[in-house]
Amino acid sequence: MDVASTAAMLHTLQDPTGIPSHPLIFQVLMVFTWVPHILFVNISLGAALMGLYAFSKRQDPHWQLLSEAMTKVAKVGVSLLVVLGVAPLLFTQTIYDPQWYASNLLSASWVIGFIFTLTIGYLAWFTFYLKNHGEHAPGWIFWLGAFGLSMFLLDGFIMHILAYQGLQPEKWVEWYTPGGHVDMSGNRIHAYELVRWGFFMAMSITVFGAFMMAYGDYFKVRADRSPAYLAFARRLGSQIALVGAVAQVVLLLGWMLDVPAALKIWTHPMSWLLLLYLGVLVAAFAVARGNAEGQGYKLLTMSIGMAGLVAIFREVLRMAYMAPFNYSVLDYKVLWDVPSFVLFLLTIVGVGGLMGGFIITLVYKAGRVQGVYQADAVVSRLGIGSVAATALWVASFLGMGIWIWLSNNG
Amino acid sequence: MLEMLGLYPQWYVPGIGTAWVMGIIGTIHVLASHTSVGAAWLFALLAQKSVSENKPEIMLYLKKYGMFLLVFSYIVGSITGPGIWYSVTVASPRGISGLIHNFVWLWASEWVFFFVEVIGVYAMVYLIGKIDNKTYLKLAWSFALASWATMILIVPILSFMMWPGSDHWYNTGSTFDAAFNLNYFAHLGIRTAFMFAVAGAVGGIIAATLKDRATRIEITRFLSKMGLAGLFLMLVMFMWYTATLPDNARLIMETQMMPKYGSTLGALLLATLVYFIFTAWKPMYLRQSIAVVMTLAIGLFGLWPEERSRESMRKPYVAGQYIYSNQFFSRDVPGKGVVSDMPLIEARGVLATNYFVPENLRKITPENQLRAGEVLTKVMCANCHSVESNGALRPLPALFGHSDEPKMIQAYLDGALYYGKIPYMPKMPLPEDERAAIAVYIASLSGAKAPRVAVGHAAQDIDPSHAKGVN
Repeated sequence: MDVASTAAMLHTLQDPTGIPSHPLIFQVLMVFTWVPHILFVNISLGAALMGLYAFSKRQDPHWQLLSEAMTKVAKVGVSLLVVLGVAPLLFTQTIYDPQWYASNLLSASWVIGFIFTLTIGYLAWFTFYLKNHGEHAPGWIFWLGAFGLSMFLLDGFIMHILAYQGLQPEKWVEWYTPGGHVDMSGNRIHAYELVRWGFFMAMSITVFGAFMMAYGDYFKVRADRSPAYLAFARRLGSQIALVGAVAQVVLLLGWMLDVPAALKIWTHPMSWLLLLYLGVLVAAFAVARGNAEGQGYKLLTMSIGMAGLVAIFREVLRMAYMAPFNYSVLDYKVLWDVPSFVLFLLTIVGVGGLMGGFIITLVYKAGRVQGVYQADAVVSRLGIGSVAATALWVASFLGMGIWIWLSNNG
Repeated sequence: MLEMLGLYPQWYVPGIGTAWVMGIIGTIHVLASHTSVGAAWLFALLAQKSVSENKPEIMLYLKKYGMFLLVFSYIVGSITGPGIWYSVTVASPRGISGLIHNFVWLWASEWVFFFVEVIGVYAMVYLIGKIDNKTYLKLAWSFALASWATMILIVPILSFMMWPGSDHWYNTGSTFDAAFNLNYFAHLGIRTAFMFAVAGAVGGIIAATLKDRATRIEITRFLSKMGLAGLFLMLVMFMWYTATLPDNARLIMETQMMPKYGSTLGALLLATLVYFIFTAWKPMYLRQSIAVVMTLAIGLFGLWPEERSRESMRKPYVAGQYIYSNQFFSRDVPGKGVVSDMPLIEARGVLATNYFVPENLRKITPENQLRAGEVLTKVMCANCHSVESNGALRPLPALFGHSDEPKMIQAYLDGALYYGKIPYMPKMPLPEDERAAIAVYIASLSGAKAPRVAVGHAAQDIDPSHAKGVN
């Protein structure tokens, strides 16, 4: 399809309902809610791989402990990455609706396959977790875990396909009607970019390595965790992270080479900023390799920063792909709906801040105590705030609802 | 550039249609998610009981139930939740897009609760016995309220799918006018009641395995009472719910859904009632297998008909009585600047105005009539109908009495359907040649060898195998 027709198609496909706030708000939220999602994707994939590798070496007590711990990390991580993935997906569907829907429809069977493979993959992983206890855990469960991990990787690849196909609107009609025949099966994968997918896999190695270093530092205060084991985890983490960061640099260069030259991604400052930051990260991991203790939180924070830059780079790239078709989210029709936007702000600050803050603080503090944790004044106040904020939220929402319902239907 | 329709590519699932794909994922999700919300309240109530009556053994039940809940509700529930979203994306893209663009901030608010709920369930399960009781109760009650809030926030969208209930939203476009529609509170009431009932049944799966006799009796009776309260509340709410439905939904419910599912639902209700009364009376007789069967029965004989009925009763719409189930906008929505697709279809048809149609089908000729008919039929009808004779989703050949007579089929398209006179069917004001192509294709499904309806003025023999190009 030619550029003008593709541009017209994209604008026709945009939802005529418009969006209820300025598009920049959605764009910023889309980019930055993706950061925690991808971080948990990275940590979960890394932890699952490490859980399995360590399981194969479980005769050594350190590897056995590591296997059990990382199996659990992957178990929690996957459920969190799913829930964290909802927000960026929601905002993508709000401002990049033509790209997301068309791409999904073109490979619809894979979209549905994603749900079932993720479910059975996770159940397999959960079973692996339940049985992976002690040095005498049966060897066959390795294959259960390997199956779970392979499903996670497949699902990551499906997500990659859906994102990547959405970037090539000029090919959608051709993919859907090959040779003039309509293909409604949704069975086909039409486009993928291995080097791009590989970059995110390498990012998993980096982020997971940094996570392991932080893990070693977090448990330093627990008397029931041996310092030798924690040093082992930190050392391993620093080695892994360095490998990952170097691989990221190489794969990012490969990715940029693969992007059509017309998009001029090499001249965009964001590309160089990301490359530069990755270079700094490589150096930081190299320096920390000899003396990893106490470096975990700092390097994990730097990795989170890297994820933030990757998120921006990804969006810059998408904007570059869409520019020839005059598709800019900033042109999306806006019909402001202030009350529902205020509801979201109050919810994320009030409930997210107080209840989320309460749970995260509680889990963090309780995890560092052996035996029963007695809440300190801060946690106690956060707990009261948490109950009060959720109760107030429910009462306000339903109260407002009754008033509007009576006004409209009374 | 001429005016075009904003239609997406079509996904066609032979036999069961996309509606069943959504229905299957939806049923699993509703069972898991409602159990999790109900269980959140069960957790809070039992934790409160455990602390105030100094019965630490109840906490042991909660720990065991919590692990089970993690697998059953939070893993399955949290994956099938986005799963519904994904399935609707590929089954009804304009429908879900309309909902997202109307309710994005409500959905984003729900995500906040969803997030704290998921981290909350891990804290609830793993911190039992590891934090002081007072803090645990704060966690439990926050968790219960947050879980219910996810329901409070999703029901506006589900009930809006049925209808806005008045003309306010069409003119204001306000999210809250859409959210607090006529059907909202009754719908929320039913789901709230159901969450207690199903949590009572699922809770029995673990209660039946408890070793301590006194605790087992106490918890089983607690579950029974919760289940019974849920059932009675559900009955009351159902009566209110039916009173808040639009006329088309009530008509479909009375004439199609009740004859089809009424006896099954009635039998299930009675069985559930007997189950809870029996387990309250003789708690020690409860076996894990019985609780599992009860849970599965609720899913298979309760939720599946409910999900199918809700989908059917919305007909011919998929959202807000402005988006038809076949993805076309049925009317103008001034408050949102939405313009009906009907005038454009009437003037230019679908083949010429849909981007996702190959160039060789944009104009119907004797040679491509059957293939054009297939594409049109699937675009216009496949959201609700299979084209296979033995399809599970209201198969078109059977609905036309396996007729191989295009004229008979076209008479239906020319009349009631063209003018939108059938309460549960979308209006389809297609041009003459597109109606003829659909009629020829549907007739071919029942073995018609030659079309009897002319394309232009020349009747042609058409071989149904020409349609093989459409998968």
